[in-house]
Order: sequence, then C-alpha cells, then structure tokens
Amino acid sequence: MSRGISLQRTDRVGAISESRKSMKSDKKQSILSIRNLNVWYGDTQILVNLSFEVRRRQVTALIGPSSCGKSTLVRCLNRLNDFTPNFRLTGEILFKGRDLYASMTKATEVRMQIGMVFRKPIPFRCSIYENVTYGPRISGISQPAQLDVIVEKSLRRVGLWAEVEPILDGMPDGLSIGQQQRLCIARALAIEPDILIFDEPCGELDPMETPKIEALVRDLKNDYTLIFVTNKRRQAARVSDFAGFLYCGELIEFGATEKLFTNPQDIRTEQYVTGKLG
Amino acid sequence: MDKSKLVFHSIALITLGAVFLFFWSLIEKRDSVGPAAAPFPKLFGYLYLLIPVSLLAILLGVVCAFYVEERLTETSWLRRFIESEVAIFTGIPSLLYGLLAVEVFIACALGGLENSVGMLFYAEVLTFIFLVMPLSIRTTQAALRSVATPIRESAYVLGANQWQVLFNRVVPLAFPAIFAGGCRAMSRALATVALLIGIHTWGYTPNATLSAGIHSRFVLLLVAALLFSVLSSFLMEKSALLQYRK
Repeated sequence: MSRGISLQRTDRVGAISESRKSMKSDKKQSILSIRNLNVWYGDTQILVNLSFEVRRRQVTALIGPSSCGKSTLVRCLNRLNDFTPNFRLTGEILFKGRDLYASMTKATEVRMQIGMVFRKPIPFRCSIYENVTYGPRISGISQPAQLDVIVEKSLRRVGLWAEVEPILDGMPDGLSIGQQQRLCIARALAIEPDILIFDEPCGELDPMETPKIEALVRDLKNDYTLIFVTNKRRQAARVSDFAGFLYCGELIEFGATEKLFTNPQDIRTEQYVTGKLG
Repeated sequence: MDKSKLVFHSIALITLGAVFLFFWSLIEKRDSVGPAAAPFPKLFGYLYLLIPVSLLAILLGVVCAFYVEERLTETSWLRRFIESEVAIFTGIPSLLYGLLAVEVFIACALGGLENSVGMLFYAEVLTFIFLVMPLSIRTTQAALRSVATPIRESAYVLGANQWQVLFNRVVPLAFPAIFAGGCRAMSRALATVALLIGIHTWGYTPNATLSAGIHSRFVLLLVAALLFSVLSSFLMEKSALLQYRK
C-alpha cells in the first residue's frame, strides 16, 4: 500500500531528475562534508553520528518531523550554536577542506561564507537600503557607489527591486511578510556567501508567497549551494536535488531526492514520505 | 532551591551583613560621643555633590550590566554572585538607605571627623552606589535580555562579531529601556535625598522650625524625583522593544 503511494510521486520528482542529469560535472563536487557529527546540549544528545556530503550548486533538503534536530544541524554548519550554553560537538565539518571548528577558524568568517535565512523574517529597524548594506558594510565595503550596485543586484536577484525601488529609504515595516522574507534573502545574498541555509523559510508565509520563495530557491542554485530545511515533505520534493531524512537526531537516509521519495531504503523513511510517520 | 544557588545567596547575604556592620560601627561611634546637633550648611554641600555621583553610579551600573550580560556565561560564579547581590540590594526600601545615610553623616560629623571630609564623602558615596547601582544593573540587564535572540542571530549570520551585534543592533533597540532604568534609579536617588533632608530636619531636631530654604529644596527634590519617575514610565511605554513584540 505504502509503496503504491510513493510510486505516484515518480512523475513529480521525474522532472527534477531530468534537470539534474544536465548538470555540469563540477557541480558533483562536494563543498561541505559532515563526518561523524555528534551534538549535545548539556547531557542530552541531539544529533547522533551524522555523516553526509553537501554538493556544490545543488539544493540539499533536510526533512524530518519537528524537533528531530534539523535546525540544530544547520546551526552547527555556520557556528551559530557557539552562543548556546552547554553546546558540545564532536566530529568534523569540512568546508572546502577546512574544519569549521578548528581553533584557527574564525566564526565570523565562517558565517560570511555560509549565510542563513530564518523561518521568521526579521528585517532590522532601519531603511531597506541599510538592511541590505549591513552585511557588506561590516565586511569593510564603504563606497556608496559600490553599495548601490550591491543593493540593486541583491534586490533584483530576489525579485524585489521593482517593488521597493521607490521606497529604498523607507522602513521595511510596510512590506508584506513574504516581501520581508525576500528582503532577508537579499540581505544574506549581499555578502556573496558560498552556501545559503534556509531554515524553514516558508514556515510563516501564506500559500501565495510560498511558491515565490520556492521558485527563488530553484533559481538561486545556479550560483549558490543551498541547504533547505523543511518539515513539508512535498516542498522538499519540489525544490531539492538531494535530501536527508532526520529522525530523533539520526540521519536515517541521505541521497538523491528522487530516490529518497520513490525508493526509500529504510522503513522509517518510507513511512515518513508516505505520511505514516511524523 | 539547588545547592549552588544557596551558596551564592549566603555569600551575598554575608557581604550585605558586612556592609551593615560597617555602618553600624559608625553609628555606635556617634552614640558614644553625645547628643546630636546637625551642621546643616555642610549637609547640603555634600548632597549636591552626590547627584553627579549617583549619575556616575548609574553609568557604572550600565557598564557592569553589559559586562555581566554579554561577557559572562550563565554558569559563571561572578555573574551569579553579582546577580544575587543585585537581587538583595534592589529589595531594600530606599527609606532604609536614607536613614543609613543620615546615621553615617551624623556619626562622621560628631565622631570628631568634621574635618575629614574625605571619610564622610566616601561613606555617602558608598550609600548612593549601593542605592543606585543595583537598580541600574537590573534594568539594563532586563533591557538587554528583552532584545530577542533572533534579532541578534540575524546580524550574526551576516558575519557581525559580538561587539558589532551589541552596538549596532541590540543597544539601539534597548536604549530607551536602559535610559528609562537610569531615570528610575535617579528618581530613587532623589527621593532618598529628599527623605534625608526631611528626616534630618524633623527627626533629629524636632524643635527647629523649617526654614524656607530647606522646605523649597525638599519640595524641589520630590518634584524632580516624581518627574524622573514619570519620564521613566513614559520611556518604557515608548520603547521600541514593545513595538517589536507585536
């Protein structure tokens, strides 16, 4: 029965498979490798022995029921967990061959290369222009001409330029929540990261705004490596090339999205993608 | 209550006890000398010196709160010690501080210390620091804490370091609340000064008639205290943090 339901998905993910085959060979390269990652908050183990590779210019989705460790995992990737009390980590996260948690690696530099977009868009309480230029400014770009170019480029990329061009100096309060989310993506793109992590970016959005973000994610993968966290199975199937299924802190299965959704190897993955679990 | 909390509260209480003993010893000294006859002109001179001192104490409190909140981890012994101490000191009514200050003042004035301005001044400064600083620390800490973590994180993910996040993102949001806390502390200080004058005038020299000068000063201080208090409430109401929570 469950097999029957999962087979119906073949046509939907088939299109993804076609586009994936046309990728250039350099896109097969791994940009981020996670090896034997274990994470604890105090005495509670959150992540258990995870190992997987994130490939360059692909969308890697992390799916799983809520509080299974998805957010903890992505927060390890840009060292955002550094501020969490009693956070402890073993294992390796290699970004372009460098260990993110090596003593020589600076957390701020890591975060400039591995950007993040959160579930709830939080624009800063300053103008739209200043929101986008905040990242470039703190990384040392101060020439107005250069900043103008960055603002236009980033906002155009997220499809927000036409909407906000007349109100660049205005506060972002008047924007819809979807526009605010795209502003936050533009803000993250302004510092030109290599990897962009989306932590449930559509969690707060209405069904009209969600497709815009999904289309944006598919478009962005031409230039960036994307990690997409979601607890919506179908959304993961729509946007991702690779997917990992997390359950109770364990990576149950990782592989091409098509394969994970149509021919899961683990019974729990099958139950999850067919809606029987989680 | 867990064991470590108990230990920190005990240490804080012992420190508090030591401070009270210090004041008590000064009072004892006063009583051994003889009946009181307060030198008024000197008193006001010192009191007006104490206003800038309490301002300084507020600033010191703000800096201390920044350090505690941003640099020390929740498990740090220094943080727990300061927080226990602050909790105890903010719980003491300002009337008690006023009485203490009066006692110390008279003790110093009558204990053969009239000429040692330094000694007297330090005792008063100490009182004011104990009065104003804990409140300042507490309100600043609350203001910093109320800037939600996601606001900080959205700046961290753009590559900002801790200081940039603090001064570019957190302080602009928390500033009205910090300022309101400062006003509250100032109001408390002024009210205590007013109490000091009142108690000194009516309590220790019951037969003295109120001179116009003292009376106007008393009223002026009370009005100032009230104004600061109102300003503090107004600022809290207008605080950007409230708007963020909507």
